[in-house]
Amino acid sequence: MPADPRPGPPPLTRRSFGRLAAGVAGGAALAGCAPGRGAPSRDTPLRVMGVNHVWSQAISKYVPEFEELIGRRVSMSLLTADQLSNSYNVKLNASGTDIDVMMMRALQEQLLFAHNGWLADLTGRVTGDAAFRWADFLQAARERSTTGGKVLSVPIVTERAALYYRKDLVAKPPATLDDLMETSLRLTDRGANFFGFVGRGQRNGSVSQWSSFLYAFGGDFTIDGRSGIGRPEAVTAYEYYGRLLREAGPPGATNMTLEQAMPIFAQGKAAFYVDADAIYTNFLDPKVSTVQDTVAFAPVPAGPRGARPYNIPSWSLAVSRFSLLQDEAWEFLRWAAGPEMVARIQADGIPGARTSAWSAPATLASFPPDLAAAMRRSSEIGVGHDRPEVLQVGRARDIVGRPLVAGILGGSVPAVARDADAEFADFLVRDNRYREA
Amino acid sequence: MRLSWLRAVVIVVVSLVFALPIVWMFAAAFKTNVQVTDPSVGLFFTPTLENFGNVLADGEILAALRNSLLVGVVSTVLSAVIAVPAAWAVGRFGMHRTGSLVLVARIVPAVSLLVPWYYLFAQAGLVGSYAVLILSHMFVSVPLILWIMIGFFEGLPVELEEAGRTDGLTAFGAFLRIALPLAAPGTATASVLAFVASWNNFMFALIFSDEETQTAPVTLFNFISYASTDWGGLMAAASLMTVPVVIAAIFGQRYLVAGLTAGATKG
Repeated sequence: MPADPRPGPPPLTRRSFGRLAAGVAGGAALAGCAPGRGAPSRDTPLRVMGVNHVWSQAISKYVPEFEELIGRRVSMSLLTADQLSNSYNVKLNASGTDIDVMMMRALQEQLLFAHNGWLADLTGRVTGDAAFRWADFLQAARERSTTGGKVLSVPIVTERAALYYRKDLVAKPPATLDDLMETSLRLTDRGANFFGFVGRGQRNGSVSQWSSFLYAFGGDFTIDGRSGIGRPEAVTAYEYYGRLLREAGPPGATNMTLEQAMPIFAQGKAAFYVDADAIYTNFLDPKVSTVQDTVAFAPVPAGPRGARPYNIPSWSLAVSRFSLLQDEAWEFLRWAAGPEMVARIQADGIPGARTSAWSAPATLASFPPDLAAAMRRSSEIGVGHDRPEVLQVGRARDIVGRPLVAGILGGSVPAVARDADAEFADFLVRDNRYREA
Repeated sequence: MRLSWLRAVVIVVVSLVFALPIVWMFAAAFKTNVQVTDPSVGLFFTPTLENFGNVLADGEILAALRNSLLVGVVSTVLSAVIAVPAAWAVGRFGMHRTGSLVLVARIVPAVSLLVPWYYLFAQAGLVGSYAVLILSHMFVSVPLILWIMIGFFEGLPVELEEAGRTDGLTAFGAFLRIALPLAAPGTATASVLAFVASWNNFMFALIFSDEETQTAPVTLFNFISYASTDWGGLMAAASLMTVPVVIAAIFGQRYLVAGLTAGATKG
């Protein structure tokens, strides 16, 4: 190759390349250490991160009222539940200041978020504001909002387990789990692609719905801080639910979570379905349901220890500890979870967490009468959790769900439950250690 | 004869396997939600345009497609401006260790970079801006273009550039006037692949965008809510998102095929 006859820039040697790289890295580091955006201006929006939920859609209609009230724009980002969790994990791990109000699942995430120090303490604000009427919230919901003696979230949506059934096929809903089993088996006609019962069967996703069966048989996930899933009551609950789905449920039940199970009932291919009462509108909407005229609602049937459906605050609002707009964020909570707004939203058919809304005939009238009766009954007798109360809820659900899958597939439930019980016991020890660290 | 029959059967089966999800997506876009979730409704049904009507009337997906287009085009062009000359330098001057260093960007799991990146970008006040989306997408695109183009430049006869330099061109001039025009099919291939990678990128957009800069892959999830999924709307939006890439691929097919096979017969 001939030499370049014209003078040019000096060649890029390894040393000069190293200098260039060091310069770029240094610049980037300096940019990282530079002061952030500092105090928010009047134009900085209040950032609300939430799940794509009927509550979020309902509240967003009223948000202009709030913007007028505080004189600041509100920016709402709505994601799916898993994406929301992932976003929180990334942004709050980096002490991100671009989240002010957080919509979250108190039972799934509050312990972990509190442990990480991501949530602002709202105790003084909720108890010091007479107009907010903290005592008006359902007791179970208030308890779930409190971690280590501090109120860290405010509940906005509640859920209870409900039995959805076809009133054209059964004159009255089953009162006991034995009735449910017997009727489901009788109505199942696999040749006609019709099933007596449909429910979640996926290992992780089914745990919350199975909890109502577990409680009805007298069990719980943990008893006195130790694993309860190896006890006879839990094994019976595993076997019952497994048989129900195996003999009366659709094929492929172990892959089914809400998204797969709900359409089967909505298409008129199942007689009974147990899931959260908050999803009832899916069965009344002719765009997604063929059973809008034949669906009816009832409490989950009673087991040997009576009817004990879960009754939980499914979604809550919290304030990020890193928010630069904490006062405005609290104002949002105060407005969105205040007595007036909860009554308005509940009148739109979204169950809230205030006793005043539950006792008001006007708000109850928005629900079908049999559903309102089931909701009220479940509120009275319900259990305040539907999953293990641990830091790493996802991992715990994976362990607890293993015998469920074995039951549905016809495997030996006692053996799998014994293994899962040992694994869950180890997990609880580690989880406790992590919590105390 | 028997072999050609077997070949035809394999081609048909493989094509069906790959085409079925796409056919299902387009078909579902013209169904009602009840029909989408009913397995007994296959490909024969009365189509409805309601899903497309709802999606387009909402306007959100169109804004997201516009954002995706902006981020995809700018990040691809900037990546090409950086990576094509870099690929030529690596290919011509045997800087393969430097090239391997850039490849580290593809080896490191992107998820592990999210927290530090988010911290840096938040400190710089860039989160939610187009700039951060473009920068993060370039992180994927630059190594992709670089490594496609290295093989391409290595496949070009070096004598062509030497002839140019004999006639008075500088080394960079030889690249600009001789190697680059000859590498147009490769640049087109690499750019289309980089654009598709940006167009479909979900993770960076999820963390770094805000409601005004959100790109289409994130917006698609708006059709999935806590207790229900608007399958018809989701499939209509997914179809709208797929069509531009399919059109770009069809028009660029001639270059793509030429580019993908370049370097394969080197020597």
